[in-house]
Amino acid sequence: MGVPYVPIVGLAGTDLLKRRDDMVIAVDPFDGKTKSVVAKALRPDVAVFHAQKADRHGNVSCGYEAEVVILAEASKHVIVTAETIVERLTEKEAAGAFIPGIHVDAVAHAPFGAHPAGCAGLYGPDKVHMAQYVAASQDDVSFAEYLRTYVLGVKDHDEYVERFVPPNWRQPARAIGG
Amino acid sequence: MKYSEAELLAVLLSREVRDGEISACGALSQIPAAGLLLAQALHAPNAELIILNSVFNPFRTSRQFHFLAQRGELGLFFVSGVQIDRHGNYNLHQLGPDPERPKARYPGGYGGGMIYYCARRTVVFRTEHTRRALVERVDFVSAAGSTPPDMLRLGHPSKAVTPKATFRFDKDAGVLKLDTIHPPWTLDDIRANTGFDLEANGPIPPTPAPSDEELHVLRHVIRRKMIDTGTYAEWAQRSLGNEAARSA
Repeated sequence: MGVPYVPIVGLAGTDLLKRRDDMVIAVDPFDGKTKSVVAKALRPDVAVFHAQKADRHGNVSCGYEAEVVILAEASKHVIVTAETIVERLTEKEAAGAFIPGIHVDAVAHAPFGAHPAGCAGLYGPDKVHMAQYVAASQDDVSFAEYLRTYVLGVKDHDEYVERFVPPNWRQPARAIGG
Repeated sequence: MKYSEAELLAVLLSREVRDGEISACGALSQIPAAGLLLAQALHAPNAELIILNSVFNPFRTSRQFHFLAQRGELGLFFVSGVQIDRHGNYNLHQLGPDPERPKARYPGGYGGGMIYYCARRTVVFRTEHTRRALVERVDFVSAAGSTPPDMLRLGHPSKAVTPKATFRFDKDAGVLKLDTIHPPWTLDDIRANTGFDLEANGPIPPTPAPSDEELHVLRHVIRRKMIDTGTYAEWAQRSLGNEAARSA
């Protein structure tokens, strides 16, 4: 939207509001009486997200959920990883949630880039890995170990996919990815 | 007819749905989902239902749901919390006396803390009626039962429903008051298991038990519908019409 803040009906009196300095209670400037919460606009420097498909011109098609469109519009820079990159998205492929390339700084080909979460329409979450992640996030020591294994311990995304994405998932999506 | 706690709660929630209104529940809400579908099958054929993460969700994005709520178009919302307090506040964030070092964390979230102020009525439910669930003051206010009169607010909590009783939210006093007790529980049982003053002055009527019709439709029509549409299918299969789960 590009506005500096937005009013919200709700959240007054919550402990959430006490902990956020980007939301305050303000008086309605028109009636001078009614109060509501106003939230400061988020203006991220960089947004990074994963999409189903992108093209060489930076156009991005992200399946069913459109929330990332606002994220792309709000952010100064946008980097997108995609399951598939094509020369140019067709009209049909661009249907639904679509981010025009004008918002996008860079796209990178990253099959299974959402793993261990899912990528709508292509694969679901890896429940076994998710359970490990949840267990690891219980304390700093086990989480550091998780990071060492899955994030810092791999040379690049290809090695991650090779080692940690279930082998029976790979065949079809690789084919789509070309 | 005997019934399980889940069936009882689904029936009690269904009775809160009004025909012609938009009624909704969030994600991970199997009991309200069953209650919404039951109401639509029985007394509210023209109710519009929003069951997030199911085929009964008209929206493509959560933004669409957000603004529908902000416009005040929701008649009824079902929400649950790990704690519910006397003042109609609920907690879906974290437990423990020190907010910086919670003993347990929950999904929290913004949605409920917004919708609680927007839906005309919100019914808070809890699958456990104990002193740890129904407390004098929640450890963390995820949504507030009351706000000052000059605060923009479109709706309020209307009831709290548990496996033992229902409470009515007294808007003027800003407190939950014991409304009905589910047989065979007694006022003493409720008192022993509730962490706040019940405001029970005089006899409290029994909650009308689920009727044969309500239970029949829930166990057959709604169970089938939930399984066929993949709406908490595993839960419906396990929890509705399951002989072993029936107690009362």
